[in-house]
Amino acid sequence: MVPNDSEFRLRVASSRWIQVCMAIGLIALVGAGIADPSRFWSNLLLISYLLLGMGLAGTFFVALQYMSGASWSVAFRRIPEALSSALPVGAIGMLVVFFFHPSLYPWSQAASAEGEGLTGFKAAWLSLPFFWVRSVIYIALWFLLSKLIVRSSREQDLDDSPRHTRSSIRYSAMFLVAFGFTFWLASMDWIMSLEPHWYSTMFGLYNFSGLFLGGLAAIILLVLWISKTTGLRDFVNEEHLHDLGKLLFAFSTFWMYIWFCQYMLIWYANITEESIYYIQRLHGFWEPIFLLNIFLNWIIPFIVLLPVSSKRSRSTLAKVAIVVLAGRWVDLYLMIFPALHGQTPVFGLWEIGSIVGACGLLLFFFQRALGQASLVPLNDPRLQDSLHYHN
Amino acid sequence: MAQLAETPYPPLSGNDEVLFHPIERTTRGFYITVAILLFFTVMMVVAYITQLREGLGVTGLTIPVYWGIYITNFVFFIGISHAGTLISAILRICHAEWRRSITRAAEVITVMVLLFGAGSVITDLGRPDRALNVILHANFRSPLLWDVCSITVYMTGSVIYLYLPLIPDIAMLRDRGKKWQWLYRLLAFGWSGTERQHRLLEKGIAVMAILVIPIAISVHTVVSWVFAMTVQPMWHSTIFGPYFVVGAIFSGIAALLIALAIIRKVYHLEEYLKEIHFRNLGQLLLVMSLLWFYFTFAEHLTTFYGNEPEEMHILMLKLYGPYSLLFWAMVIFCFIIPVGILGIPKWRNVTGTITASAFIVVGMWLERFIIVVPSLANPRLMPSQGIYLPSWVEIFISLGFFSTFILFYVLFTKFFPIVSIWEVKEGREKSLQEVHERVRTYIPHPLKEG
Repeated sequence: MVPNDSEFRLRVASSRWIQVCMAIGLIALVGAGIADPSRFWSNLLLISYLLLGMGLAGTFFVALQYMSGASWSVAFRRIPEALSSALPVGAIGMLVVFFFHPSLYPWSQAASAEGEGLTGFKAAWLSLPFFWVRSVIYIALWFLLSKLIVRSSREQDLDDSPRHTRSSIRYSAMFLVAFGFTFWLASMDWIMSLEPHWYSTMFGLYNFSGLFLGGLAAIILLVLWISKTTGLRDFVNEEHLHDLGKLLFAFSTFWMYIWFCQYMLIWYANITEESIYYIQRLHGFWEPIFLLNIFLNWIIPFIVLLPVSSKRSRSTLAKVAIVVLAGRWVDLYLMIFPALHGQTPVFGLWEIGSIVGACGLLLFFFQRALGQASLVPLNDPRLQDSLHYHN
Repeated sequence: MAQLAETPYPPLSGNDEVLFHPIERTTRGFYITVAILLFFTVMMVVAYITQLREGLGVTGLTIPVYWGIYITNFVFFIGISHAGTLISAILRICHAEWRRSITRAAEVITVMVLLFGAGSVITDLGRPDRALNVILHANFRSPLLWDVCSITVYMTGSVIYLYLPLIPDIAMLRDRGKKWQWLYRLLAFGWSGTERQHRLLEKGIAVMAILVIPIAISVHTVVSWVFAMTVQPMWHSTIFGPYFVVGAIFSGIAALLIALAIIRKVYHLEEYLKEIHFRNLGQLLLVMSLLWFYFTFAEHLTTFYGNEPEEMHILMLKLYGPYSLLFWAMVIFCFIIPVGILGIPKWRNVTGTITASAFIVVGMWLERFIIVVPSLANPRLMPSQGIYLPSWVEIFISLGFFSTFILFYVLFTKFFPIVSIWEVKEGREKSLQEVHERVRTYIPHPLKEG
């Protein structure tokens, strides 16, 4: 029998260190704001986009499980559900950038040389009011559907009705379609347009692959952490970890496939307007970071996760997930910073501080969301299947 | 209740005799079908001999439209080939139990259609003997050579992947001792069904299933690079690799559904190819249709955003110009109609999925055509060449390719069971038991009070 209710609620742990992390992040951002405002804005954009992506990845994971009728993941579904609470946090950061410092985007100033070169559809697309409206619509859509999915899952805890599973499936379908189209547009708007003359049809998909890869790494780490410290340990076993490891392996390879398709075609065709993007990122000190990105996101996870045993080992999985999360930051750093800070990479207290702060924020909201419902969706009709899952 | 406990699941009997019928009985319908298909094959031979004697001038190909419907067929056929291997391999790896009666039909499509995919390239050459130059004077920087390599590996892998699960069935045919004894004895490789043989076979199939997935993905990625590695407007697009792979799987599932429906009807296999198979494949088809649209949207809107004059010229030709009819037909056939049908659960039956599939197969051929031709007809450094129209030679060769592919498929079903008999048996004997055992472990004390 599944034991009921309160003992499976997370006791909000002594979260002193989470508060410390957030404080460090705050100090770093304020410090940067005073000492070097341009880095303040780039870091805010990067960190907010990262957090937003984590929240989206959590919702995407849950939606995917619902849509495919998967049962294996039910036991730990509350973890990605709680991860989706990072979505509004990241969204606020993004909106702050868009409304208070749109000059981060060269096209926003008509006077600038870049801005003048835009014509036709692109000029209409990249106009501030339209940009703001689009951004708000994307975020509102994701936030609404993500809330609905999480809410119907939690309501099932109370009244044990299978109709919640059905409505979750419906919301998941809506989310997946809406997310697919809008996230691709959003990544184009928010990141690609930092360099408004460069474009690549793969860019949205590339951003998605990174988003889900990083999200999976975060889900793995959180599952490992929560199942070590709470009653979740009786529900999550090696079989679940094995499948999470397989997913991480698969999406790491998917990321590499997408990365290679984009890089190879641009490198081979060698058209100046396109190759400038990579030339900038392979110039001087950017080159080691460029290579580091591939190591962190693909080479290390691929080699380490190849044997079955490492996908079932808690410590190996945790280490690989940390590597991939670092890779996620580096990947975004390579997309954003060369466009804004040019010739040489900048890395220092402000970047480290904002990473620590983002971790703190993520964990704070994650823990809060996790505490709002039972740790396991006790009344989900597929829970039994998940508990007896075998690979 | 007590009775239920004694017979935990309803026993499934059946000697699968009906699966041998296509091989052992020949109807008049078979000869008529073969005759019709052969007619088109003969027409193809006539057309090809004309092309060889007169040269490529008898086709609609011009400078700069070197590639017309031959290369369209090439991309299309290679796309269809993803039916088999990918569908069957992915379902096998995911332990999808419902795969058992459809894997064979899918794998045969792959092997047969690949011959015609590769053949399409040869027909595009005025001097087919020069195809060897790709190997004799290899240029390792050319995606054409990569294509030859990846398709050869794919062909080899797919043949092995088709053949391995066929061995126990061939042995069954050998033991029945009716037709073609020598052939079955040769191909059965001394299979006697021992435990060791079974273990080795399962292992071999599992390894091939895993190998074949990256190979299949690489094949269509490399096919897309034949286009994307040039600097032609609307060809040089970074998304082409996964876009082609998605289109390939999409058209492959549609082709598989059509094949299954015909096999089901002609060979009376309603018991094996049930509504549920069509419903499940229909769901997959719906997902692929949405994914295909996602990629099409991404490709075209980003190009629109990029706003480069040469690219915009071709994009406009597709959206509003002479190719617009084909373009919008493609969108309607590949997205609007399939989603309209498959989006409604009760229409995901045999008729619904087949209707959607028929539109998709046509729509995907149009997609390949719209990718190949407009960019060629409007190169960067030459004035526009108007519109390309295929000649009768090209049309007959293409029709012949389709009909000969179907002919080969039909002939396969005359020699080998199109539904994997031993796997169906295994499902009946082992998997049902496994599921029963697993479900039992969930229930604390089953039916004790009863």
